[in-house]
Amino acid sequence: MSAATHGEGLLEVRAVTRRFGGLLAVDAVDLAVRRGSVHGLIGPNGAGKTTLLNLIAGVYRVSSGFLRFATDDITRHSTAKRARAGIRRTFQNLKLFGEMTALENVAIGLHAQTHAGFFDAVLSTPRHRREERGITDRSMAVLQFVGLAGLAQARADSLAYGHRRLLEIARAIVARPALLLLDEPAAGLNVTEAAHVSDLIARIRDDGTTVVLVEHHMDVVMRVSDEITVLNYGRRLAHGTPAQIQEDPVVIEAYLGRAGETDRAQA
Amino acid sequence: MGALSLSQLIDLVVGGLAIGCVYSLIALGFAMIMRATNIIHFAQGEVMMLGSMCGLTSLWLLPALPLPVVIAVGMASSGLIAVAMELAVYRTLRRRRVPIMNIITATVGMSILCINAARIIWGSEPLRFPELFATTAYDFGGVRMSPQLFWIMVMGVAIMGALQLFLKHTPTGLAMQAVAQDHEAAQLMGANLTRIMAYTFAISGMMAGAAGIMLGSMFFAFFEMGFITGLKGFVAATLGGLGSIAGAMLGGILFGLIETFSTVFLSSAYKDGIGMILLIAILLVLPSGLVGLWQKRR
Amino acid sequence: MAALIALPWIEPDKFALHVLSLIAIASIAAMGLQVLLGYSGQLSIGQAAFYGIGAYTSAFLTAKLGVPFPLALIGAGIAAAIASLLMVPITRLTGAYLAVATLGFSIIVYLFIKNEEWLTGGSYGFIGIPRAELFGYVLRDARSSYYLNVGVGAIVYFVFARIEGSRFGRAINAIRQDADAARASGIRVTLLKSECFVIAAFVAGLAGSLYAHEVRYLAPNDFTFWKSIEILIMVVIGGVGSLAGAILGAAVVVGLPEYLRAIGDYRMLVFGAILIATMLFGEGGLAALAATLGRRLHALAMRLILKPTASRKAAP
Repeated sequence: MSAATHGEGLLEVRAVTRRFGGLLAVDAVDLAVRRGSVHGLIGPNGAGKTTLLNLIAGVYRVSSGFLRFATDDITRHSTAKRARAGIRRTFQNLKLFGEMTALENVAIGLHAQTHAGFFDAVLSTPRHRREERGITDRSMAVLQFVGLAGLAQARADSLAYGHRRLLEIARAIVARPALLLLDEPAAGLNVTEAAHVSDLIARIRDDGTTVVLVEHHMDVVMRVSDEITVLNYGRRLAHGTPAQIQEDPVVIEAYLGRAGETDRAQA
Repeated sequence: MGALSLSQLIDLVVGGLAIGCVYSLIALGFAMIMRATNIIHFAQGEVMMLGSMCGLTSLWLLPALPLPVVIAVGMASSGLIAVAMELAVYRTLRRRRVPIMNIITATVGMSILCINAARIIWGSEPLRFPELFATTAYDFGGVRMSPQLFWIMVMGVAIMGALQLFLKHTPTGLAMQAVAQDHEAAQLMGANLTRIMAYTFAISGMMAGAAGIMLGSMFFAFFEMGFITGLKGFVAATLGGLGSIAGAMLGGILFGLIETFSTVFLSSAYKDGIGMILLIAILLVLPSGLVGLWQKRR
Repeated sequence: MAALIALPWIEPDKFALHVLSLIAIASIAAMGLQVLLGYSGQLSIGQAAFYGIGAYTSAFLTAKLGVPFPLALIGAGIAAAIASLLMVPITRLTGAYLAVATLGFSIIVYLFIKNEEWLTGGSYGFIGIPRAELFGYVLRDARSSYYLNVGVGAIVYFVFARIEGSRFGRAINAIRQDADAARASGIRVTLLKSECFVIAAFVAGLAGSLYAHEVRYLAPNDFTFWKSIEILIMVVIGGVGSLAGAILGAAVVVGLPEYLRAIGDYRMLVFGAILIATMLFGEGGLAALAATLGRRLHALAMRLILKPTASRKAAP
């Protein structure tokens, strides 16, 4: 095993399988994500990357296998419970709260960290007022961090596409999660914007958040990942440092010689 | 209460199936409109009521009309009324891109409009249909069956079968299916959305019209008859899994049977409640209705 | 606000005050549904169930057990809220499925009210409901009960107005806009949806109690599916998502048929047509329409005020 410079395992995915009807979307995949690393997850279209991400986030339940996060078995936990435990994510097709301002979107990310309920709001208790101030301050700081401070009061659905991508990341990191799952954060971005996102991912890791990154932009993945796992047809094909992956003949074969692989898809 | 004799059991099953056919026909209308437009068409029961009234009126004018013609009159008038609603109101609302809740509320407005128009035209007394069926029971090898219930079942099944054939084997039917799946893709393939929507309402209306004649002949025609029956049709459609044609048919039949049997085992005062309790129970297990049974595993 | 307080002295007509009371009561139930539908995005077509539970609870507590009115009012809200807990399992349903389940619940409650004569008086109705009294003072005339109903309505309005911009308000808004994203942010979607159900049921119960003591006679037909639909119409006609809209909608739905009484049989026909026409105004309902109108009038007024100065400047 390489990349031994990183800390102990934060997330352990063991022999996780997910079936959709007759289709094996994820087939007995193992994945070990080290604390403080950026773990790239790549593979051709339909390799099962997003499905694996959804299994980690709790959107789907595993058909079989086991998920450990820090010291807890989270295999059966709901999405909200995992989010509250410190697993946050972004979505491939952007899921922002369009009618809210950018600031409010980020504030939603702090929901689990705060406690004021209906009655606090109605009675405007000191707790409520204190929390609201804290929420605003922290949310503004995160907007600053991703570079959207000037757009705090803009409605989310009025933002430019690149800004929406950044806003989703801001919402996901505002609560300082232990683990951040990024589902193609650079999809649809131009070279400059993609570079900004890779820079942002590195800064997020340096702030202490472990990152699992699904991404098609190879330059982004290769630049920021500490380790990379390659998936193909729902199986783990290879695992190693970016340098090792780039030279791995099996990986090159999977990406370049896809024609030879089609019969395996039927299996 | 107590044990049922075989003939009682058969009577109940037949009664449940017949009323179930009526619910299925109404549920089909709900399901088709739901699939195509995403709206709950609360005026569906009133479309049925107006079909029933028009069929009855045709019998007053020409007392010798045979049953199939009366059914055709009911279907045609309900179909026209539903298309008129679509063209005059719903289409305009959709074009203005108003929120779905506004369109649904407009269908409630439509329902209020129809009920009160019918009360002004036909009065508020229940109107009895003339005898449309033979009165002596049919005998199928010892199993006696009311001709009325028998023919309602036969016609219900025939109409639903015809609908299936239409949807599966005609260009218009296939285009309707495509539109239900995906508006944009269907439009790209050249489907005329406005025309398809009008067809959807026409067919939903025709189903309701047939149900109206059947229900009217079983009980009577009444300006408020569409209200509770329409709701039951909606419940049946939901039970089946909204937006599924087969689910709506199944949901209607099932709802008819549940309702009929519950009157035997429980006080009839709570007849309408049993169906509702079962409905809620089923939805708790299958949050998207009975179609969930065969879609869940995918 | 001042206008609402002064109104009974300007317009002391008993019947007008009674209609205003009914509008205030309806707007309480409508504001509850606004929180449920407009804020959290859950469509209920069964609010009449909670309204009915509140009405009969309050009637029973005061008439049969001699409980003082203020306690009965709170009791009515609590009874409705407890009943709504039965609905908690169904909050995981969405859209039309949720709507049908709430409809089913309200039909069951209606049948209960109609059939359990020993408790509710059944079809004969519940008679002999005492007038509301507050701290030993019986609200005998239309004016004092107007103040009670409008007062409770105002409290509900100000309480709900606080939801917007709060953590709770943001979270339920988030659920309405995208439940998946809300879950991924750690929001317990089902829990918060249920809370909205309970809140809406509680105020519907309050409204039912006020109604019971305003009209002092309850019949099952006041609590059919139509009542639920009426409450829904108020919310949509007023503007989904707007508290003020819910009040405006209540005024239209309760007040308009009273005004249309003169045209007799055609009353509901016209009401249906007006309802359809209102839907054509689009997203914001009457609340947005009023706002647009206000802006236009303001602009017009500004133009009228500014014009003379402008022309004077141009004159010499």
